[in-house]
Amino acid sequence: MTPASTVPAGAEPEGDVLVDVDESQETDTPWLVIVWNDPINLMSFVTYVLQKLFGYSKEKATQLMLDVHTKGRAVVSSGTRERAELDVYRLHEHGLWATMEQSS
Amino acid sequence: MTAPFRRRRDGRYVVKLDPSVRAVLATLAQQLLPTLDSDEPMTRRLFPPAYTDADRHQEEQDYRTLVDSALVGHHQQAFTVLAETARAETLSPSEFGAWLSAIESIRLIIGTRLDVSEEMPEPAADDPSAPEFALYELLGQLQYLMIEILASELPPEGRPEGIL
Repeated sequence: MTPASTVPAGAEPEGDVLVDVDESQETDTPWLVIVWNDPINLMSFVTYVLQKLFGYSKEKATQLMLDVHTKGRAVVSSGTRERAELDVYRLHEHGLWATMEQSS
Repeated sequence: MTAPFRRRRDGRYVVKLDPSVRAVLATLAQQLLPTLDSDEPMTRRLFPPAYTDADRHQEEQDYRTLVDSALVGHHQQAFTVLAETARAETLSPSEFGAWLSAIESIRLIIGTRLDVSEEMPEPAADDPSAPEFALYELLGQLQYLMIEILASELPPEGRPEGIL
C-alpha cells in the first residue's frame, strides 16, 4: 500500500520523470479482479457467490460463471487497487480462485 | 424422499440428514480444523495468491501479511460452527452460511488431495481413492442443495451497485 512498494523490485531509479510516470499509472489505471476456472467449485456456487458479493443479476452472474468455465477466466470487477484487493479477499473467503492485475 | 434442507417460515433452516452423514460432517470439521493454520499443501487452495505477476512479489507479500490471519480465522469459525451444529435439527441463517462455507472449504481440501480435474472419471470401486472420492461427491451434493435454497433467496435482478 505504500508508494515505495509500487516500484518493481530491482528497478533502477532513473530520475524523477520515470518515477512520476509509474506513480500516475498506479493511481489511474484500474485494477481488474479475475476469477479463474478451477475443477472443484460447482458452477451454481460460482454464480451464487458472484450474485451475493457483487449484487449482480442472476443473468449477469451466470454469464460471468460461463466465461470462467469456458474461457478459463473472467473479469468480475474493477477499480482502485484497494477496492480490488477487498474484492479479491471476499472471493478468497468464499473459496473462489481470484487474482488481480492492472489493466494494460 | 425428504429434502435434506428446507427454509422454514421463521427464517431458520430445517436439516434432515442421516445421523451417519452428520457424524461425517462433524468429524471432518473437527479433524481438518487444525490444518487451517498449518502449511500443509492440502490447504493451499484456501489461500490463493492475489498477485501473480512476477514483478508484484512485494505486493503479494503485503497482501498475505494483511489478510492471512483473517482468512484463517474466517475458516476456523465456519469449521467450528459445523462441528458444533452437525447434529442440530434446525440452523440459524448464519449457521447455515457457516455450513456452506465449511463444506466448500472441505471440498477444496479433499479436491486438492485427490488432485481432481474436470475430465477426471470416477475412480473404480477398487481404487484406493474411491472412498475419499465418494465423500467428495457427497459434499458436492449437499453443497448443491444448499446453494439452491440460498440462491432462491437472492433477487434475480440483482442489487443496486455499491451495496454490500
